[in-house]
Amino acid sequence: MSELESVIGLCRMVQSGKIEPFDIDFDYVMSVIQKHYPDIKNPRDFCMDAEALKELSLVLERQNQWIEHKSTTLYKDPFMLSQSLMALDIGAIADIFLRSWHPLVEMEQMSAATLAASLSYWGDLVPFAERWQDSEVEERETGVATRDEARQLGYLPEEGFTDIIEAFWRELGERVGPGGSIEYWDWIGADTYEQTVYRAYLTVFMVGYGYANATWDRMMDEYTIIHKETPEPNPEEAKISLSVLVDYEEWKLWRNE
Amino acid sequence: MAQRMSKAQQQYQRKLKDAVHLLFFTHHKLPGVRGWELRKELGSDWQNVLEVLDKQLQPLDLQVTQVLDDPDIIEPTNAQLQDARYYITMRGTVTQKTAKTIGWRIDDIAGLAVSVAYIISKQGKSPRQDVERVLEEKLPGWRVKLNIDRYITQGYLGEDEQGILFLDWRSRAEIDSKKLVDLVVSYGKREQESA
Repeated sequence: MSELESVIGLCRMVQSGKIEPFDIDFDYVMSVIQKHYPDIKNPRDFCMDAEALKELSLVLERQNQWIEHKSTTLYKDPFMLSQSLMALDIGAIADIFLRSWHPLVEMEQMSAATLAASLSYWGDLVPFAERWQDSEVEERETGVATRDEARQLGYLPEEGFTDIIEAFWRELGERVGPGGSIEYWDWIGADTYEQTVYRAYLTVFMVGYGYANATWDRMMDEYTIIHKETPEPNPEEAKISLSVLVDYEEWKLWRNE
Repeated sequence: MAQRMSKAQQQYQRKLKDAVHLLFFTHHKLPGVRGWELRKELGSDWQNVLEVLDKQLQPLDLQVTQVLDDPDIIEPTNAQLQDARYYITMRGTVTQKTAKTIGWRIDDIAGLAVSVAYIISKQGKSPRQDVERVLEEKLPGWRVKLNIDRYITQGYLGEDEQGILFLDWRSRAEIDSKKLVDLVVSYGKREQESA
């Protein structure tokens, strides 16, 4: 192990609490770093030098924290504290601890409402025998359909996906005005749950492709969709990732409001 | 007017009830509720609601305890208060007899006290072997490892991947560190004077 590696190891011992911050002689460590600096020949040596400087700066940080800690009312000389602890018998230590201990109070309780909801869930739960039934597979003749026929059957959208997103963006602009904003649920919410899911799905792409922005208010746990006057569409590279948030219960609550 | 007042009072009572439900019942993996969660449920006057609740809990020997992410902060900002965790703890303290009835052996309490005080004296972190060495002076070796593991599981101590112990969330919520250190030192001084 080189001299530089030893001082890095020494500095790391401070970080892990194995030695006190002021056990490190700053001038000595600095002199070792300075001594090796002219010998740097390759990137590995540079990295080692940088590592030593970083670790030494962390020691300085710990020394600063140590002084701050010492200036607080909590500071008591560690030696004196450990000597006091050793001098006390177990009963006295326990007694001291109990005088400064305020245990937490927490409860776990099953409410009648939770039980009722669970029972209702149980009632709606499909038995395993039914859920895991083998699906009946029916052999069908294969055929050929044209693109128009696939559109008529609803397997393909009438227009291109980009057209749909752009129409959606225009709808947003009409509702909130250029650059305006709207709460997430007010934007995606529709009369049916299926329509709501569809609008949430399109919103993900509208935001991801750069037609709109989304902000999240952590305090209120709410998303806001913001119309972009000048979209920067680039379907190849989605800019923002937005999860599809369409909880059925939340949709019911929104609709009832 | 009287009707309006009673409506406001009713609303405040409802908020107090909501605060009780949030603080007493376990909602997450860990007990306690963050300030922003309380604000979301109780509204902008959430801190006043907590103050009133704290007063109402006083006769029951309980209190609302606030634990900041950084224990060194003396005057927290609004943002720091919203990030703080709130708990219900006992206002007073526990006797040895009561501690036994809630499942604590005297050795376990003493072991926790020594571990916490020792870690505080080392500026909040210390290698596990050092804490074990201190505990082994008065407790059998096999118990020491078992006890430290128990303190970690209960959330009093934390251990990082390098085997460094630190004070975890439960110590910060339940233990009055300053009082503990002061009592240990003053007890030590008294012992020295009487010797």
